[in-house]
Amino acid sequence: MDVLGLIVSVLYQFATNAAFLLLAAIGLIVILGMMNIINLAHGELMMMGAYTATIAFHRGIPFPIAVVLSFIVVALFGALLERLVVRRFYGRELGALVVTWGVSLIMGQGTLILFGPFMPAISIPAGSFALGLYSFSVYWIVLIALAVLIILALWWIYQRTPFGLMARATMQNPAMARALGVNTDRIYMATFALGAGLAGASGALFAPTTSIAPLMGQQFVAPAFITVVVGGAANVLAGAVGSSLLLSAVKTPVGLILGAFLGTVALLLTALIVIRLMPDGISARLQAIAERRVRR
Amino acid sequence: MRTLIGLINGPEDIGRSQWFWLLASAVLLVLFLLPLWASEFQSSNIAYYLLNIPMALGLSLLWGYCGVLSFGQVAYFGMAGYAYGVIAGNLAGNTWGPLVGSLGGLAICAATGAIFGYFVFYGRVQNWIVPILTLVFTLLLETFLGQTAGYQWRIGHVQLGGYNGMTGIPSFQLGSEIFFGYPFYYFTLAITLACYLTCRMFVNARYGKVLLAIREDVIRTELLGYDIRACQLGVFVMAAMLSGMSGLLYVQWGNYITPSQVGLFQASLPVIWVAIGGREKLLAVAISTFALNWLNYALSQAGNEYAPVIMGALLLAVMLFFPGGIIVTLAAGRRRRERSRVPISANEEST
Repeated sequence: MDVLGLIVSVLYQFATNAAFLLLAAIGLIVILGMMNIINLAHGELMMMGAYTATIAFHRGIPFPIAVVLSFIVVALFGALLERLVVRRFYGRELGALVVTWGVSLIMGQGTLILFGPFMPAISIPAGSFALGLYSFSVYWIVLIALAVLIILALWWIYQRTPFGLMARATMQNPAMARALGVNTDRIYMATFALGAGLAGASGALFAPTTSIAPLMGQQFVAPAFITVVVGGAANVLAGAVGSSLLLSAVKTPVGLILGAFLGTVALLLTALIVIRLMPDGISARLQAIAERRVRR
Repeated sequence: MRTLIGLINGPEDIGRSQWFWLLASAVLLVLFLLPLWASEFQSSNIAYYLLNIPMALGLSLLWGYCGVLSFGQVAYFGMAGYAYGVIAGNLAGNTWGPLVGSLGGLAICAATGAIFGYFVFYGRVQNWIVPILTLVFTLLLETFLGQTAGYQWRIGHVQLGGYNGMTGIPSFQLGSEIFFGYPFYYFTLAITLACYLTCRMFVNARYGKVLLAIREDVIRTELLGYDIRACQLGVFVMAAMLSGMSGLLYVQWGNYITPSQVGLFQASLPVIWVAIGGREKLLAVAISTFALNWLNYALSQAGNEYAPVIMGALLLAVMLFFPGGIIVTLAAGRRRRERSRVPISANEEST
C-alpha cells in the first residue's frame, strides 16, 4: 500500500477543501466583520469576477492579470453597490439581506439575458504531477498558496496600515471612531469594495475549475454561507481561518468515504452543532480565549 | 363566539371598520361566485394564486410579527408535497389515502421544523444566521432531490424521480368526493380562508402579542418572564406547517412536483411577496401574494426570461422606497388621514 502517497493525498484533499471554503467565503467575511451585513449577492459577484476573467482571458490577456482585473472591476462595482443601495440599510441587517437578494436576482438573470447561457471555458492552467499512485493538480496547489497569501495580505492590511487601524476602530466602535475623525462612510465603502473585489478574484480563480454560466455563483453560496456562520463576525481572519480548517476537517473524511454531497450535508450539520455550542461562531470563542490570556 | 369575533377584529391586522368588512365580504362573494363565469382553467389558475397564500402568511408570522427571517419556507413546501406524493401514492386504491398523506405531510413539516428550530433558537444565535441556515437547508434539499433519479430511489412503489420530479400524484379526496377542477377551487378557497382567519385570530391573541414583544426587544421580553426560545420555535413550526399546507395544495392542484420547487429562485418568492406587500400585516401579505402570482403568470405568458429581473427590480424598489411594504404604507397613510379628521372638541372634552 502506498502509505506515503495516501497520506499526502488526504492532506492534499484537506488543504484543497480548506482553500476552497476560504476563498469562497473571504469576501463575505470581510463585509460581515465590518458592517454585520450578509451580502446575498456574493455568488453573483463571484460570477461577475469569473465572467470578467473569462472575457479578458479570451481576448489574450494572461490569466494572472485577468484575475487582478477581475478584482478591480468587481471592487468598483461593489463600491457603486454600497453607495447606491447598501448604505441605506446599516442597522437593518435583515433589510440588507433582502435587498442584496434582489440585486443578486437582477444580476443573475441579467447576465443570462445579456450573455446567453454559456461562456467559453478556461482550461486549468499548469498541469498535474504524480506521487506514487496519486496525481495532484498543480493549479490547486497554487490556489492553496494563494489562499494563505490572501490571509497574510489581509492581516498585514488590518494590522500594519493606517487604513487597517481606522477599519478596526470602526469595527469596534463606529461612533467613537467618527468622533476621533475617522471617515466611517469611506471606510464602509472601501470595505465593501474590498469584500466584493475578493469575491470577484475568487470567482476568477475558480473559473478554470468549473463551467462558466450565469448561475454559477449558486454552487459557492452554500459552502460560503456555512463557513461564515461557523466563523462568526467577531474577528475576520480568525473566523475565516478557523472555520475553513474545522469544516475541511469534517468535509474531507466524510467526502472521501461517503461522497461529495454527503460531505456538504455534514457541513450543514456541523454548522448547526457549532451554533448551538458557540452561537457567535468560532471567532468569538477564539477572541474570548485570547482576551482571557491577556488578562492573566 | 364574541371573543372569536373580537380576535378577528383585533388591531394587529389591516381593516377593522364597517366599510372594510363590507369590502371584504364583496371580494369574498366575487371569489365564491367566480366559477359562474370563469372556465375551469381560469378557476384553476386563481386556485394557484390562492394556494400560495398560507406559505406567505407563515413567513409573515415569522418575519413580520416575530422578527425572524427564514429563506427556507419552500423547503417545507417541497417536503410536504413529496411526502403526500409518497404516502398517497402508496395508498393509491384507498379512499382515505390522500387524507392520511396530507396529515403525514404536515407532520413531517412540523417535525423537521421543530428539530431545525431547536438548534437555531435554543442557541440564541444572531438574527442574520437564521436566513442563511434556512437557505442552505433548502439548497441541500434541492440538491438531494435532484439526484434521486433512477428506480432505486423509491419509497414503497413511488419513485422520487430526480430532476424530472414526481408525477401522477393523486388529487385530494374525502371518501368518494375527488377534488378536481371547480370543487378543488372551492376547497382551496376554503382552506386559504381558514388559514388566514386562524392566523388573524392568532396574532390578536395573547401569544401574538408576545411575538410582537419579541420582535421589538428580545431581552426585555425575556426579562418579563417569557420563554422566547419556545415562542420562536412555536412560530417556526407553525410557519413550517403553513408552508406545508401550501405544498399539499400545490401537489393536489398540479398532481406533480419537481426539485425546482425547492430551488433558489422559488426560495426567494415568498420573501419577495411578503416584502412587497408589507411583512407586518397579514392582509397585505395575502393581497400581494395573490397579485404577484398573477403578475408572474402574466409575465410567463409573455416570455418569462425577464420575470426574475422584474421581481428583483420590484423588490429593490420597494425595499428602497417603501420599506414597510406597498400595501402597509398605503393603509398606514389612509389611517393617518382619517385620524387628522377628528374634530378638536373631542380633545377638549378629555381635559
